[in-house]
Amino acid sequence: MDPDILQNAKGHPNGDFNDYGPRFKQLKITDNVRELQTVLRDKGTSRGDFIFYADRLIRLVVEEGLNQLPYRNCEVITPTGQKYDGLRYLRGNCGVSIMRSGEAMEQGLRDCCRSIRIGKILIQSEEDTHEAKVVYAKVPPDIENRKVLLMYPIMSTGNTVSKAVNVLRDHKVKEDNIILLNLFCTPQAAQTIRDRYPKMTVLTSEIHPVAPNHFGQKYFGTE
Amino acid sequence: MPEDASSEMSQLIFMRMPPIENKSKMANPFNFDRPSSASSASDSGGSEEHDLEGFNTVASSPPKSPVKVPGCKSPTKAGATKKKSRTTSTSKSSSRAYQSGLRTLYTSGRPPWYDSHGQLSEPFVIGLTGGSASGKTTAARRIIEALDVPWVSLLSMDSFYKVLDESAHEKAMRNEYDFDHPDAFDFNLLISTLKRLKEGKSVEVPIYNFITHNRDKQTKTIYGANVVIFEGILTFVNKELLEMMDMKIFVDTDSDVRLARRLKRDISDRGRDLVGVLKQYNTFVKPSFENYIDQTRTFADIIVPRGGENEVATRLIVLHVHNQLQKRGFKLRSKLASSALNGQPRPDSLYVLETTPQIKGIHTFIRNKDTPRDEFIFYSKRLMRILFEYALSMLPFKPVAVETPQSIDYSGMRLNARKICGVSILRAGETMEQALCEVCKDIRLGKILIQTNSDTGEPELHYLKLPKDIKESHVILMDATVATGAAAMMAIRVLLDHDVPEQNITLTSLLMAESGVHSVAYVYPKVKIVTTAVDKEVNDNFHILPGIGNFGDRYFGTDYS
Repeated sequence: MDPDILQNAKGHPNGDFNDYGPRFKQLKITDNVRELQTVLRDKGTSRGDFIFYADRLIRLVVEEGLNQLPYRNCEVITPTGQKYDGLRYLRGNCGVSIMRSGEAMEQGLRDCCRSIRIGKILIQSEEDTHEAKVVYAKVPPDIENRKVLLMYPIMSTGNTVSKAVNVLRDHKVKEDNIILLNLFCTPQAAQTIRDRYPKMTVLTSEIHPVAPNHFGQKYFGTE
Repeated sequence: MPEDASSEMSQLIFMRMPPIENKSKMANPFNFDRPSSASSASDSGGSEEHDLEGFNTVASSPPKSPVKVPGCKSPTKAGATKKKSRTTSTSKSSSRAYQSGLRTLYTSGRPPWYDSHGQLSEPFVIGLTGGSASGKTTAARRIIEALDVPWVSLLSMDSFYKVLDESAHEKAMRNEYDFDHPDAFDFNLLISTLKRLKEGKSVEVPIYNFITHNRDKQTKTIYGANVVIFEGILTFVNKELLEMMDMKIFVDTDSDVRLARRLKRDISDRGRDLVGVLKQYNTFVKPSFENYIDQTRTFADIIVPRGGENEVATRLIVLHVHNQLQKRGFKLRSKLASSALNGQPRPDSLYVLETTPQIKGIHTFIRNKDTPRDEFIFYSKRLMRILFEYALSMLPFKPVAVETPQSIDYSGMRLNARKICGVSILRAGETMEQALCEVCKDIRLGKILIQTNSDTGEPELHYLKLPKDIKESHVILMDATVATGAAAMMAIRVLLDHDVPEQNITLTSLLMAESGVHSVAYVYPKVKIVTTAVDKEVNDNFHILPGIGNFGDRYFGTDYS
């Protein structure tokens, strides 16, 4: 781990995003978002509260992530007979969740995009070596023509996400068509991802030296 | 919000009073339930008497005699013993409904009680006194009926009897306690209650139980009156009370008539025996009249012989009150729409969500007149959720340190407010409740029904039900759209009248017009205004342009013709 970056992360409660390039984006941090993060970090949070607050944070990240998708301008007529200059989203998007914890974010995406196609990639770590291995992948057949919202809530090393992005590459998805939706990220993972996939868009709510690795277990109740 | 949660709520219902059907009953005051503490009163106990179905006017009732009746019975002796009886007519006709377009209103609402600067007009207080069984209540009812204004509260002195201790209670059971002496009343409470009513605030009136001689646990909330009628045997004996009255009426009825009525009421209606009633009359009632009540007639502006039967006197009183009320009346909405504040820079209290492509895209869906209803509902719900997450970030937060499962300390933030509650302005504001519940766990919800009077164009308050502890809460006030701001201002005024501090109110809305923003911000600068977009104009029908149409109609699907 680069000590400089760690220091930066300590100086700013949510990390310094300038180090990770223009495609590394942070959710707009309000006191309200800070509260969501705090509840998820707190050891004393009950599982019910944990799910409630996690779903809220996921929803905010998803809504912000959708802003990265393409759209075109369009004019509509309101019920009062007036013109409104609006915009319309373009078709050709899909979601891909990295199992297991990425599945926690599927509902948040589904709540915003009712009929979006969602692929899944299962990645597991070897018990002995802690090396991440792809076990299973199922993605929409025409995924190479789509923008991909890749979902994974916690990044501590960035290795799992790297494996998943490699799977997407194998399916001919262009790197700049991938938008990673993430909740918590370590500086180390942020740097790894920036170095390996500079054209990928990343959205997270926090860069902090310690990742809340209990997320998946607490969310799914397998503690 | 389940309906039976009313024990937590104060509530009011504005109804027209069932008219008195015929002469013979008019001359028979004991045939009526006493409408003491009428108007917006209701007990907080949540009995089924809150049910609107409980009140029906007779078929012959003209649609315009809007006077409210209590949501519960009076805390009088009668109320304690025969709570369910209701001798006024309750035929099953539905003639009380107003029809305007597709909308039907079953009550008449309260027009604005403040001007476009938020200044309150004091309610007009009528003090009414006279000897026991002199016909005060009948007189009050005749005045209420003839006044023909919807917002009248009746406050009865009977609610303010002191709580009796064990020995006094036993004396009372033997008819030996003097209920007719000034010492029997809690004047301090009475003064503070009337003072708050005068300030337009909501008050909790005790319910006195004449069997236990204690105050019931429940109280009755009285809120919202342009006219307060304060009646009782000793209303004029206290100087402070006298000073609060704008008009003082003494009902003068011959003592023989009063005794005869009292005998009939106590014996046939309350099942007491002749000896006891006479004993009480001679020991307490009569001396009290001679020593206290009779002398207070010198304070009266008007002395009404024969009480409620005196039609000439009633007409004179009503004429005077109408003149006084006209001097205090307000016209709001057109003034607000043409607010000279338009074009001014946006106020500091306004917070508009950043217009990201998503926000703009959602607006495109819900503003498009051709959007089907299921998409309209889906996208407006998404927008509401984003709106509330944004609105929550305006609340006070405090830094905290928490311990994480990774055994490090994490410095974060937690909400620094003890309670939050949501209040929706019906109908359209109700659509936002679900989204609020999705971001605030177990939040309490209140409701306020405000509708526009199609004759005057003014907003009118018809119904409200608020959490009891609302004054300690941060309140998220919800309305889907704010055009002129007239309804929002009325709702804010209601919250202030319930002691919610102005800075604790956040007005949330999907779409606002500039004039509405300015009107609300000008009158209530401490109220935070949070919305997702602000449109420039309001048309002659007070619709926002380009706007979103009638949000409630589109959401609920009541817009086809």
